[in-house]
Amino acid sequence: MTISDDLILAKDIIQVFLKGKKILRMYPQNNPIYMKTIEDSFNKFDDFFTYQDTLRYVFRQNEILYDTEQVYENPEKEDNLALFFFKDGLREITFRKGLTANEMEDFLRIISMDFEREVLEDDIVTLFWEKDFENIQYVVDETFLADEEDYESQAMSELEEKHKDPDNLLQAYEDAFKQEDAKEIAVVQIVETELQILFKELEDDAQDKIEKLNNILFEILISVERKNEYADVATSLIASVEYAIGKGNLDAVRKLLVRLKRLTDRQDIDGDLLFQAKRVIYFAGSEKVITALGEMLDSGQEIDEKLFDEYIDHLEKNAILPFIKVLGELKTIHARKIVIDALVTLGPKDILTLTKGLNDPRWYVTRNIIYILRNIGDKRAVDHLLKTVQHTDIRVKKEVIRTLGELGGSNVLVALRNCLDDKEIQVRIAALKAFSNISSDTVKKMLMDRIMKKEFKDKSFEEKKEYFTTLANWKDSEVLEFLVKVMKKRSFFGRSKLFENKAVAAHCLGLIGSKKVLPLLNKHKNSNSKLLREYAYTAIKRIDSAQ
Amino acid sequence: MPSKEELKIQKYAQDFVNQLSVVLRTSQIHDLNNVAVKSNIEKMMSHVSALLGMENIITLEVRGEFFYFNEYRMRYPLEYLLNFDFLMREFKKRELGSFIIVKNVTLQDMQTFIRAFIESPYATNPYERIEEKMKGIENIKIDRLKSIVEEDFLDVRKMVKKSYFNAVSFTKGVIHKIKSGEKVSLKKAKRVVESMVDHILEQEQLLLGMTAIKEYDEYTYHHSVNVSILCVALGQRLGLNRKMLTELGMVSLFHDIGKMEIPPEVLNKPASFTEEEWKVVRKHPSIGSRALLKLKKLDELSIRSAIVAFEHHMHYDFTGYPKITDPKKLDFYSRIVSLADQYDAMTSARVYSRVPMTPDKALSLMMERAGTQLDPLLFKFFINMIGVFPVGTLVMLNTKELGLVYEGNQIFVSRPRVMLITDNVGNRIEGRVIDLTEKDDKDQYSKSIVKTLDPNKYNINLAEYFL
Ligand SMILES: [Fe+2]
Ligand SMILES: [Fe+2]
Repeated sequence: MTISDDLILAKDIIQVFLKGKKILRMYPQNNPIYMKTIEDSFNKFDDFFTYQDTLRYVFRQNEILYDTEQVYENPEKEDNLALFFFKDGLREITFRKGLTANEMEDFLRIISMDFEREVLEDDIVTLFWEKDFENIQYVVDETFLADEEDYESQAMSELEEKHKDPDNLLQAYEDAFKQEDAKEIAVVQIVETELQILFKELEDDAQDKIEKLNNILFEILISVERKNEYADVATSLIASVEYAIGKGNLDAVRKLLVRLKRLTDRQDIDGDLLFQAKRVIYFAGSEKVITALGEMLDSGQEIDEKLFDEYIDHLEKNAILPFIKVLGELKTIHARKIVIDALVTLGPKDILTLTKGLNDPRWYVTRNIIYILRNIGDKRAVDHLLKTVQHTDIRVKKEVIRTLGELGGSNVLVALRNCLDDKEIQVRIAALKAFSNISSDTVKKMLMDRIMKKEFKDKSFEEKKEYFTTLANWKDSEVLEFLVKVMKKRSFFGRSKLFENKAVAAHCLGLIGSKKVLPLLNKHKNSNSKLLREYAYTAIKRIDSAQ
Repeated sequence: MPSKEELKIQKYAQDFVNQLSVVLRTSQIHDLNNVAVKSNIEKMMSHVSALLGMENIITLEVRGEFFYFNEYRMRYPLEYLLNFDFLMREFKKRELGSFIIVKNVTLQDMQTFIRAFIESPYATNPYERIEEKMKGIENIKIDRLKSIVEEDFLDVRKMVKKSYFNAVSFTKGVIHKIKSGEKVSLKKAKRVVESMVDHILEQEQLLLGMTAIKEYDEYTYHHSVNVSILCVALGQRLGLNRKMLTELGMVSLFHDIGKMEIPPEVLNKPASFTEEEWKVVRKHPSIGSRALLKLKKLDELSIRSAIVAFEHHMHYDFTGYPKITDPKKLDFYSRIVSLADQYDAMTSARVYSRVPMTPDKALSLMMERAGTQLDPLLFKFFINMIGVFPVGTLVMLNTKELGLVYEGNQIFVSRPRVMLITDNVGNRIEGRVIDLTEKDDKDQYSKSIVKTLDPNKYNINLAEYFL
């Protein structure tokens, strides 16, 4: 017996399916192996269509037939191609001559999908259906979709039972004459303008529905009667928030938060309802949501910052920790800036939690948190900040010193004073700058004492200048006298160091701006030291121009 | 998926048919030498030559309610709706069934056809007149409109019927499962709806016929399927694509899912509801909405379903229920479902214990509500779809014969096909289907509907005729 060529090819094409199922799942579309598979497969079809115009396979549970010949058999349940088609109701599939390479690829891609996975919401027939193939037709048996055996005949006999008695056509005929005339319904043709309205409707319809859903859920939330239902509706609201954030629809969530907030602010609100409404608000600030927001910010997509701010306004304190976490992960400066602002807004709701961010192992996060605490300006942060003064990273230290200076307090003084003896000049200078925010006499005295000490003259010019710049904050007579004294000091040793002291004292006098010291400064205009001459000159000009 | 080439042909074909309609309409008003008409004809000829460059022949055929272009049923974009409808009407008026153009067609050939076409409606035998005038034209051929052969329909009818009952049975199963907290397979639901969508695209009237029977015991489930069918049929008229139609079909199938919590003795109560019972009934939109959201992970489909379940009784003007604090324009699908739902509910005996209305009465009541309870524009499309005398209506004709409306006519909405069930003195006769667009020798309609009656009142078993 000779086997016809088309039968051989029909068998080959079954192999094409099996191979395609594997290859297309494994390789991306632009991979050479993928492309080669498509090409080879299509050639098989092409060959086949030189013999026949249609290629029809019949599926049974454990075998596939071409014409009446078996071209595939597999008694197993696993990896059974026949069963794979059969179980979704496919009974026949026909490829027609004219099949395009695209159609074949689409077909192979569908059968190579992983239908065992939960996430896939379509079965193979639905996917075929959606493709609307021109040259691939299939026959399905849909009885398995119905839930009971033969509901059809059951319903039909039921109807027959109802109509056991013969109908009464004659009566109908007689009654008809007594009837009023049929209602004249004027059917008007649809006109162009109406079609335009419809187009607009269809266009609008394509928009996101989540806002509408939120409104509905909110209505349901406030209208349910049984308390255990609150939780149920809140759970749906939470899912909706998650969905909206996933779609980048911040505005929908913001609007919901506004309504929830108004609800929770009401005095007469039921305790359970309050709890559930809060649960939704808390979710909007949960790690899941905030992480998604962070990704959104980092992706560089346009974000309406005003909208974002309003969103933040409605969050609760639970959002603080997730934001701190996100802060450490963001890649773009722009995104970090937005998150920092968000924490400035949220921080006051829970300073203590915010200060936990000070312990973050990443130095820049710690520095950002310090910055945030400074911008919030809550003195309760001081104790936590004081611990950070010992931070190993100098950038953090500088930030915390500055912040402590701005926040002030008795403990701060001690810490800052210690910083004046730090081995790093940047730290010492930062401390001096910080002192300019503290206008206490103690600080003034301390600064003057330190200047008067013997070691002072060995400090760098930069540091000396900072001392005197800070001192200029006290514009009182005591400081003036002190400065005059420095200016008048004489010594034969270390004259260049002495000139440095005088130059920065002149600088300080200039900053204080008292006219009384002009004669003194004028005297130094002609000093032998170029440094002192210049500083005296600048100070005079400053005082003169301030008049 | 059709290839690029095929898509191109489809597009040219749509443009050609649209342009043919424009040409025939303008030629009815102006002379063929008019500048506007001339340029319209030229434009059409350019479509013709483009098509003939790709295909050897252009065959435009009317089958049932649709145009077929070279054997493929034409789908067309919504903006062509009016022109396609016009052309369909004009073809049918002249009993013109096919219009075939072959290569080498000239402008003169086409002008001859246009003249023959526009001069024919005044003739008693329009088709013959066109034929006569077209004698000697080789490159354009025409053929008479074929009436649909009933036998061919039998198998289709069986299939459609099976698909309908499958859907009902499936819906019943789903509702029971949701009620008992079991997992529901949405894959299956999709399959059920896709199958309905296919049937509606091909055999709309058959499926609409299925919805005419309302006497089932488990009417709630039939109601869901009926509403779904009516919605998809309307959606088709509105130009939704297959995927959107499936979505609409799914959403509408589940619109009343919240009724599962209403005790059946209330739901099927033969009398009016008490205030207490009404309170329970009014909750079903909200219950349904919640149940649908719990069914699966949130996605476009579940969101849509929940919205529609919640809104389907709210009414276009928000006079319905539930009442909410800040109502926003109803969702597009909600407005579609409202129409289908009201229609099916009013014409059935069970939903809300109403006395069933004849379809035409229901429609005239809905007409009054268009603009208040119902979206007026969508209603216009709805009535165009379902006809003034929907399938299943018991009618008396001016010839005093009784009949059942058997199949709507989308073009002549008040002239459906009718199955005669008595002669002119009231004697039962074996069902013969006639078409009310048929005319007599004097170019007058042979038969018209004058009265409508309720078939239930006379114990007429619609299923006998329709299933
Ligand atoms: Fe309802
Ligand atoms: Fe309903």
